[in-house]
Amino acid sequence: MSRFSRRRLLNPIRSQTLPRHLPHTETELKVDGLWRVVVLNDPVNLMSYVVLVFKKVFGFDEQTARKHMLEVHEQGRSVVWCGLREKAEAYTFTLHQWHLSAVLEPDEAR
Amino acid sequence: MKRVEVKLALPIVAPLLDLIKELADGLKKHLAVAPVVTEVDPEMRDAWFGELVSAQNDDVATLLGLFDDEFFSEGVVAFDESNAEAVVRACAAIRLRLRERWLKPLGDETLESGDVDVAALDEPLRKAFMCYLFLATVQELIIQHLDSSILES
Repeated sequence: MSRFSRRRLLNPIRSQTLPRHLPHTETELKVDGLWRVVVLNDPVNLMSYVVLVFKKVFGFDEQTARKHMLEVHEQGRSVVWCGLREKAEAYTFTLHQWHLSAVLEPDEAR
Repeated sequence: MKRVEVKLALPIVAPLLDLIKELADGLKKHLAVAPVVTEVDPEMRDAWFGELVSAQNDDVATLLGLFDDEFFSEGVVAFDESNAEAVVRACAAIRLRLRERWLKPLGDETLESGDVDVAALDEPLRKAFMCYLFLATVQELIIQHLDSSILES
């Protein structure tokens, strides 16, 4: 069962700068593990738009945002965030609001 | 508050608005692109999609609101921090919808490069591609001039 709450859906992450890795407990990690937010390439969205979205959603600086955008463009995907499931779901939802192709994946390396 | 006013060529833009409105109608109950959400349960997925459609409708309504009576008399649209974020997202939604409904024949590689001989396209496809370019121009204008307004909002 997902831990993604309706309340979370109604309060997507839209503007605040959040730490890339949140403090967590060992118990939380055992329950859900780590999850990755992966952005996939699409032929429509402008490079400048994708950079803007990364800066807005994740609080990336210009250089980091461009690095991830180019990864998406050239390699077809970029892992833009990794951490606890609930936060990963919220980030994925927010990227969907911006019409980016984003998927949630379990972090196999955990 | 920073505000950007753009004077548009009415004879060029007005015909595109019919197509934009038609596509906007098609987005009332559907997402521009259905996201892949396999890692959440069906009930949550429904809520997820419902929230996205609702947000998309708000954004598209803001975009369509730019083209009011004043636009048709003056040819001017204005962007500021109150509408920039919604408009830039709505443009993305409609551009994605354009690809799904009209631009598939061009192929993704051509669409991504933008290397299209517009004059060689037949009329419906040309209009769709012009619409696609127009919305991209709106996005670029907003990102160029109101980037900080969006990031700080």
